[in-house]
Amino acid sequence: MNASGRSARRPGGAAGTAAIALGIAFLLLAVLPAGLLGPSAPLGEAIYRLHPPFLNTFQAGVQRHLAPWLWDDVLLPVLLLPGWLPFAAIGLLLVALGGARRRQRRAAAR
Amino acid sequence: MLIRIRRGWEIPESRVTPEAIATNRRAVLGLAAAGLAAAPPALGQTRDAGAPAEGSPLPPAMRNPRYRVERAITPEHEATTFNNYYEFGSHKSIYRAAQRLPMRPWTVKVEGMVEQPREFGIDDLIAAMPIEERVYRLRCVEAWSMVVPWTGFRLSALLDRVRPLSSARYVRFETAAVPEVMPGLRQSWYPWPYIEGCTIEEAANELAFLVVGAYGRPLPPQNGGPLRVHFPWKYGFKSGKSLVRITLTDRRPKSFWETVQGNEYGFWANVNPEVPHPRWSQATERVLGTGERIPTRIFNGYGEFVAHLYVNLQNERLWA
Repeated sequence: MNASGRSARRPGGAAGTAAIALGIAFLLLAVLPAGLLGPSAPLGEAIYRLHPPFLNTFQAGVQRHLAPWLWDDVLLPVLLLPGWLPFAAIGLLLVALGGARRRQRRAAAR
Repeated sequence: MLIRIRRGWEIPESRVTPEAIATNRRAVLGLAAAGLAAAPPALGQTRDAGAPAEGSPLPPAMRNPRYRVERAITPEHEATTFNNYYEFGSHKSIYRAAQRLPMRPWTVKVEGMVEQPREFGIDDLIAAMPIEERVYRLRCVEAWSMVVPWTGFRLSALLDRVRPLSSARYVRFETAAVPEVMPGLRQSWYPWPYIEGCTIEEAANELAFLVVGAYGRPLPPQNGGPLRVHFPWKYGFKSGKSLVRITLTDRRPKSFWETVQGNEYGFWANVNPEVPHPRWSQATERVLGTGERIPTRIFNGYGEFVAHLYVNLQNERLWA
C-alpha cells in the first residue's frame, strides 16, 4: 500500500498484459496468410506476395555476407513452414508468457 | 604519316594466344574430357568441381579473329568458381552444388512460331553446327566482369534450322529446372523456371552466341552447361544458362527477374555506364582475376555491332 492507500502497479503486470495483447495480434496475423493463400501456403510465399524483391535481397545478403548454410539450413526451412504457423507459434508463446507473468503478479499481491 | 587508332575491340596480335598452343591445349583437355565422359555420374552424385565438365569432347574450334578483346582472358579457375546461378543459390560458390546437374542426356526444344519445330540432342547439335571460338567480355549487372573464350555457334544458325515464321518477334529462353539437384527450386514462390528473352532482331545479330564450351572444354554446369546463350552487350543475367527450350513467339517474354524485381532487372538490360542500377553505380567494373576496377563501356564495348538495333527504341527502358 502506498500513501494514498492504492496498490502500487508493478511493471511485471503491465508487461504481462502487453505480451498477451501482442500475442493476440500475432494470432490474428496468422489468420491472414492462411486466409489469403490457403492453410498450406509457405511463409516465404506470403512474404513474396507482400514484397517480391525482399526475399531475394535478404537471401543474397545472408549467403554472400554471412554463410550459405545459414540460408539453406536455417532460414529456408522456416520460410517453407505454412505461413500461419510462425505467427501462431509466436502468438501462443506471447500469450502463455503474458499469462504466466500476470499469475505471478497476482500471487505476489496476495 | 598514317596514324591508326585502334578500335575498342582490337588488340595487338602479339597478345593473341597462338593458334597452335590453343589447339594443342584443347586436344589435351579434350582427351581428359573424353575420359571423364566415359563414366558420367548418376543423378545426385557430385563431380569434382575442378574436373572437366561432363560431355563429349568438343570438335576442333578455330578462334574467330573478328571478336577480339583488349583485356587479358580471365584465368579459367576464376571464371569457373565465381558464378551466379540462382537455382543453386545466391552466393558465388555455387560451382560445387552445380556439379550435381546431370548434363547427359540433354535435349533442347526449338519451337513456337517456326515452320519446323525440332528437338535436338546436345551432342547431335554440337556435331551439326558450325562450331567456333569467340573471346567475349561478360559484364555482370553486379559490376564485375570477365573475359572468356567461349566455344559455340551463332544463335541465328540454330534458328535457321527451324525457319522462324515472319510473325515471330521474340525469342524466349527456358532454363532447366531439376528440383532433385537445384535447392533454389524449393523456394516455390519464385516464378521458376528461369526465363529470359530477346527480340528476333537481337537473336539474328552476329554477336548472339549459343555456347557449348569454354576454355576449349565442354561448358561446365556452373557456367551454364551444356548449352547457354550469351549476349555480350547485355548484362549477364540476360544470358540464360542450361537451356532446355527456345521458343519463338509474338509476345514479349516476361523474364524471371522482370517478374521478381522488374524495377531493377528489365527486358533490355543493355550495358550502360551512365545509367546506374537503383542500388549501385554501373560506371566501373571489377575485373575478375585481377581485382582491377576499370571503366565500363556502353554496350560493353560492342556498340558498333549492336547500337543500330535500338535507334528507334528510345522510349524503351534500354539500360536496365
